Amino acid sequence: MTVRALLLSAMRRDRITLAIWILGTALLALFAASAVGDTYGDTAERVGILRLAVDNPAILLLRGLPHGTTLAAFVFFQIFTWLALLAGLMCSFLAVRHTRAEEESGRAELIAATPAARTIPTVVALVHGVLAALVLGAAVAAALIAGGMPVRGSVVSGCATAAVAIAFLTTGLLAAQLARTSRGANTLGVATVCGAFLLRGLGDALGTPSADGAAMTSAWPSWLSPIGWGQHVFAYTDDDPRPLLLCLALAAACTAAVLVLQAGRDNGASLLPARAGRATARPRLRSSLALGWRLHWPTLVAWCAGGAAFGLFAGGLSEAVVQAADTDPDLAANLRSIVPSGGSVTQVLIAAMFALVGVIAAGSATQAVIRLRQEEAHGTAELLLSTPLGRVRWLGGYLVLGAVSILLVLLSGAFASVTAQVLTGGQDLGLSVAAAAAQLPASLLYLAVLALVFVLLPSATAALGWTLLGAGVFLGVFGGLLGIPQWARDLSPFTHTPVMGGSGVELGGAVWMLAIAATAASASLVLMRRRELRG
Amino acid sequence: MDDARGHDIVVEAAGLEKRFGRVTALAGLDLRVLRGEVHGFLGPNGAGKSTTIRVVLGLARASAGSVTVFDRNPWRDAVGLHARIASVPGDVSLWPNLSGGEAIDLIGRLRGGTADAAAYAARRARLIELFQFDPTKKGRAYSKGNRQKVALIAAFATPADLYVLDEPTSGLDPIMESVFDREIARVAGEGATVLLSSHILSEVEQLCDRVSIIRAGRTVETGTLAELRHLTRTEVSFEDSGAQVTAAQISAMQALPAVHGLRRAGGRIRFTVDSDAVARVLPALAALEVRGLVVEPPSLEELFLRHYGEGS
Repeated sequence: MTVRALLLSAMRRDRITLAIWILGTALLALFAASAVGDTYGDTAERVGILRLAVDNPAILLLRGLPHGTTLAAFVFFQIFTWLALLAGLMCSFLAVRHTRAEEESGRAELIAATPAARTIPTVVALVHGVLAALVLGAAVAAALIAGGMPVRGSVVSGCATAAVAIAFLTTGLLAAQLARTSRGANTLGVATVCGAFLLRGLGDALGTPSADGAAMTSAWPSWLSPIGWGQHVFAYTDDDPRPLLLCLALAAACTAAVLVLQAGRDNGASLLPARAGRATARPRLRSSLALGWRLHWPTLVAWCAGGAAFGLFAGGLSEAVVQAADTDPDLAANLRSIVPSGGSVTQVLIAAMFALVGVIAAGSATQAVIRLRQEEAHGTAELLLSTPLGRVRWLGGYLVLGAVSILLVLLSGAFASVTAQVLTGGQDLGLSVAAAAAQLPASLLYLAVLALVFVLLPSATAALGWTLLGAGVFLGVFGGLLGIPQWARDLSPFTHTPVMGGSGVELGGAVWMLAIAATAASASLVLMRRRELRG
Repeated sequence: MDDARGHDIVVEAAGLEKRFGRVTALAGLDLRVLRGEVHGFLGPNGAGKSTTIRVVLGLARASAGSVTVFDRNPWRDAVGLHARIASVPGDVSLWPNLSGGEAIDLIGRLRGGTADAAAYAARRARLIELFQFDPTKKGRAYSKGNRQKVALIAAFATPADLYVLDEPTSGLDPIMESVFDREIARVAGEGATVLLSSHILSEVEQLCDRVSIIRAGRTVETGTLAELRHLTRTEVSFEDSGAQVTAAQISAMQALPAVHGLRRAGGRIRFTVDSDAVARVLPALAALEVRGLVVEPPSLEELFLRHYGEGS
């Protein structure tokens, strides 16, 4: 009875979050299945791409193991590891949300005082997570079938996704036992999932090519990763579910460990002790900008790593893509749909990759402004603004923080791209720097407009911030690929980002965006003078 | 600014109104805090204490009415005023990944109170010792009482002319409350002005020179504790010996102008009497040869409950 009540309450709480995760993952599967069918319908073409992949560790790292040349097997190679990554993240977050986060907030104490006691909530989180994983697996299978893939292999893919999700559900539960805070537990959980992805990537990249050069056997590191196990079902070719037993065995072992740990510890206690902080502040911590930097930099590191990853892609893969584009004209067409340019394939690739770096830069700025709102909503802003710190100055500090974030993300991307180009013998190093600089206007526009939203509609800051960014990416970056009409694509700032390297760079959009950004930023500062603090 | 009696006024609010959409938080509130006094700001939860304090600090803007702090408008001159004000919010939240010690230093530095580093360090160390506070924990690990200590230590570690404290002892244990009382006495002794909101009467009775009681966004009483005590009545009761006390005697007592609410219950006869008229009632009681006479001194509690109870 208690279990049922808690389970229903957990499902109710998660219904929107999980719906977004599951629908998003299923849509990715559907999109991959239908897009690959359209682009690589011809077997000879696929064999060419697979051979290219086998020669390129970077592609294997980011995709999977080539195994079979049928269209469906090609789809599995392209997308499964990403589906597994998303499934793992979804379940790891779910596990922490229903265990450690509850303990940290003190809600678990309310529940522990009822007949539910201390262990039942963990069991409920496990059951809830397993149900979510099964629904996710079914959704992925349905999406692949809807995308025209064979039923049997699609069901196997769905089962593999669910099994990986269940494995990471239990590692998440274990992380929640170990760490003192939900933030710590989530860091541990995400590190486990991403580590498993990288381990698999490493194993795949170091694998042995088959005789025809269009398939690959992975090296041993893949067999240390639940995502690697999931991949080895080789849906649509072998359809072998046995590797999934490893996922379930890991899940059983983690569950046993979780139950033992849970039985032996106090509510709120943890195996890894909470790290003590400093007794006095460093001399630097003496302004709201310094405080913002202190709060923002750990996530900024992650944004910069994302920027660097796409930069690495841009610089490191340009040679490989030039070769691929020779055999596959559609590839070049896809790239040109992101950035309309008459330039060379290298130029277009670098511009397309840096469009994504620009999205990441805008994301880091969006997060800086949302942090400002969180300070206000959580009440810490009241402590700050009761000192001789003016509201306008407070906002100004965060605008500076957002601009610095944008610069650092773009610099990380440019630096990674140039380094990769130097290492792979690429030319035209200035192109990466120019492409990075071209992202400034759109990113600054996002920063300034969201600051204005924060001043005028504070409670909408977070929701509107991510929605505007998502809509901008959808219309501006992928709009061409998805066949969105031009007038709608023009609504996105990213559409107006200048494309460097082509003949005759169009800078009009950039100038307009900078002008709007400057106006919005000034307006936000002026209006902040008249704005009250709102909880 | 001075009032009619030549007192120096630090905080002056007149007809203060504050509306949030359709909700009226303050409906014509008056408040006057004199220089050097500890002013108690009493009222039930939701009476508008925190809203008033936010207006005084310039974090919210009054919808109507006037407010000045040190003769300046707190909304327009917030930054200049805050250099002279130390405050503790009603609900202290901390930054999850900053330690308590870091938060104290940050607030102290923003207030500009750390210019004399040695003096600041000494004050800070003394307060951390007094409040038995561990400054190395991260913000999210502190209990409510310990978060409160962060704000209190930060407020008392830098000198100020005005202390604005919103229910500062909520979450503190009795020993820490007495530490807090001594700190208030110290800053008041140094000539600072204190505005202290509370819904606990005994706290205010102990610490404050003058008190304002508010209810539903309006000031209902204001004055020194002695003045307020005058508004309350003394409670008198004695044994009901049945036959000896006749109905005629009862109605004679009821007829006395200062006697209120006479009733017989639980074997005793009880009534209240205006505190300045107690002596006039005593001859009547002597004539009755009453036994077990109890005369309870006036308490603010009664006044407080009378205002709190209204309309609830």
